[in-house]
Amino acid sequence: MKDLRLSIRNLNKSYNVPVLKNVNLSIGRGEIHAIVGENGAGKSTLINVLTGLTPRDSGSIFLDGESYEPDSAGDGFAAGVSFTSQELSIVESLTVAENIFLRQLPRRHAIVDKSALHAAARALLDRVGLDYVATDSRAASLSLADRQLLEFAKAINAECRLLLLDEPTAALTEQQADRVHAVIREIAAQGVGVIYISHRLDDVLGVSDSVTVLRDGAVISTTAADSSSAADLVSLMTGGGVIRPRDLAATDAASRPALVVENMCTANLPDSVNLTCHEGEIVGIAGLAGSGKSELLRAMFRLDLLHSGQVIRHIKSETVQIQSARHAVRNGIGFLGENRQTMGIFPGQGVLTNMMLPDILRSAACTVDATVEKTVAKQLGKRLAIRYNSLQQDIRELSGGNQQKVLIARWLNAGSAVLLLDEPTRGVDVGTKQAIYELLFELRSNGNAIVIASSETDELMTVCDRILVLSNRHLVAEFNRGLWSEEEILSASFSAYTDNTMSEMSQSEGVQ
Amino acid sequence: MNAIRRHAEENFIVLSLILLIVFFSWLSDNFFSVITLKTILNQLPALTVVTVGMTLVLIVAGIDLSVGSVLSLSATVIGVLVVGWHIPLPLACLAGIVTGLACGAANGALVAFFRLPAFIVTLGMLEMARGLAYIVNNSQTVYIGSSIQAIALPLPGVGVSLALLIAIGVVAAGHFMMTRTVFGRHLTAIGSNEQAARMSGIDARPHRLFVLALSGALAGLGGVFNAAYLGSADPNAGIGLELSAIAAAVIGGTSLMGGRGSVLGAFVGVLIISILQSGLAQIGVSEPSKRLITGAVIISAVLLDRWRQKHPQ
Repeated sequence: MKDLRLSIRNLNKSYNVPVLKNVNLSIGRGEIHAIVGENGAGKSTLINVLTGLTPRDSGSIFLDGESYEPDSAGDGFAAGVSFTSQELSIVESLTVAENIFLRQLPRRHAIVDKSALHAAARALLDRVGLDYVATDSRAASLSLADRQLLEFAKAINAECRLLLLDEPTAALTEQQADRVHAVIREIAAQGVGVIYISHRLDDVLGVSDSVTVLRDGAVISTTAADSSSAADLVSLMTGGGVIRPRDLAATDAASRPALVVENMCTANLPDSVNLTCHEGEIVGIAGLAGSGKSELLRAMFRLDLLHSGQVIRHIKSETVQIQSARHAVRNGIGFLGENRQTMGIFPGQGVLTNMMLPDILRSAACTVDATVEKTVAKQLGKRLAIRYNSLQQDIRELSGGNQQKVLIARWLNAGSAVLLLDEPTRGVDVGTKQAIYELLFELRSNGNAIVIASSETDELMTVCDRILVLSNRHLVAEFNRGLWSEEEILSASFSAYTDNTMSEMSQSEGVQ
Repeated sequence: MNAIRRHAEENFIVLSLILLIVFFSWLSDNFFSVITLKTILNQLPALTVVTVGMTLVLIVAGIDLSVGSVLSLSATVIGVLVVGWHIPLPLACLAGIVTGLACGAANGALVAFFRLPAFIVTLGMLEMARGLAYIVNNSQTVYIGSSIQAIALPLPGVGVSLALLIAIGVVAAGHFMMTRTVFGRHLTAIGSNEQAARMSGIDARPHRLFVLALSGALAGLGGVFNAAYLGSADPNAGIGLELSAIAAAVIGGTSLMGGRGSVLGAFVGVLIISILQSGLAQIGVSEPSKRLITGAVIISAVLLDRWRQKHPQ
């Protein structure tokens, strides 16, 4: 107990649904402890609780045997907890040196001590392998990989007792990652406790002393790294690849294409993508966070610029090449963005306004028929069992699940025959989740074509006819219903991250 | 019940307006006099039409700071055309409105298609239009005469001026557009969440261009009313008018963050500001104190509105 850096006892956290369940974890001085798990397993939430960014619901945390209860990231820093965030916290308009020392700029009285700042920054940049970056260059000019290294330099700058690394090498090449790992070992050798989260399982096993597997917010196992294999970890992460069989009735229309993507490339999808979704078919897009799922759906709805290729909508015997999001809507394509708050709802507007929008876009008439509109909205509300007080009620007052139903109703009302759904059940309770699945089945049997991106593999396995797997922005595998296992899908999701050449490709794509 | 709730916005400020009138009538015996009423109504048309334009711009989360200057530019164009060029009055008025439309369209194009912030673009237009107004009029006030004053004088048999009738028509049209048309619904959607609107297939650019162009044209119309009220074209007209219009819109329940607003409410906001000004003058409040009180009323209106948002019903 004495030589433990960090000890977590019965930690719980929930947002509507539990995200962390009775988590117990101990990390010794100088120990590098990896945490692995699927998307949504609770890894990032655990980090956020430890940094003080997210308050915990219950449980206790001890740092060097003393109770540690951070209320803010500032408390965390004061207690010697340093971290890198998955969403890089780089201020683009500041210089590289200023970014590293943002929390405590070296100063003489109130004036920033430039020479001290640049000398200290130089040393840190050289240490993490950014020797080719000038300390006074703007952070905006750095590539994605360089930014990630800068984030890492920032984290190891401060004297710390505990270092939390959330995907510190996601955008790095093998060589860059090796450099980072060497630095992590040096830091651990000084007695710092390190928590290391990564999707690269080989790296995890190579650098860490022990590995904890999280699944659905619970600790499944903690083992020594040298007695584990990547295959063991995948199996533990998925719970042994349970397949939930559910027979989907074959739909007779399944041979007619509804939406065809041909040789599509965008800034975020370097490989050309070919994809066909048929009438009465649900196609799933699987992949880890940042694998390009959202980018694929956005490109299909023509929200992002296509570098090449085209998106073609088949309506009966006609074909239409989709030019813009507006054009997509007019040709019966609906889109549900991954972020309900920023991409979906109209805050401050009523349920009715939120539900009826694209329909009135399609109508030829210029004025809104208030009576018809109300009747239709009520019918949709009933069909989807949406719970609201009145049609004028501010959408923000509805629960997440009901908001999501309103957004789906929006597209049903628009008569969209093709639906592109990005994480349609994110932040939605179990009952609503089931209701959304039932709705998808109903739409499928009506001949709708649905493409659904989800980070929950079992969700895709429940609803899809076909699952395509994206890994590191490349389409790597395709599985048909009944011929898949969660393990296969997951290892396909990881495949392009462990491959050296793939990482280098994504590196050269970088961020301009 | 639903209808009441939907019109809560308007109901609330109409109540404030009535309270204000009762308050001044109680303090001053002759507040309800014909002269007072005339004074108030005569000031109204220009501010009303400019406020309607401003409200629409605010609803799409924009702002138009140039309305006061554009109003004076429109007035000076009319003055020069009528006095210097002997152009018939109706044609000259049309030219004034088109001048406003051109300024507004320039604002709109820069904001919508060059992605410049509306605040900066219309601030630039504020300076440019004012400068142009001085150039057009040689920095002089040009006397136009009684022909244009007819627009601002009460029509025989009706009792109110043509200008006021037109202004009320503009309010009615604006209210109809925001409440009953698809276009109005799209404006609300864009102001409320532009990204979500885009993902619903709505292109914000033509909408932004339209509202700023309309705001310019209405400022041009305001220039007609202003010249009619004064009987002359004054290049100093409308200084600070943009702030009165924003204040009226905000008192009427329009959010500066976009997505929420009522044209009818903004009109009541105009009435509240005008009655407050006249009422305070009536009871002998000095000019500096009038400004102090008006400012306090604007802030209180926003505070009250914020409070009502947090405690619906």
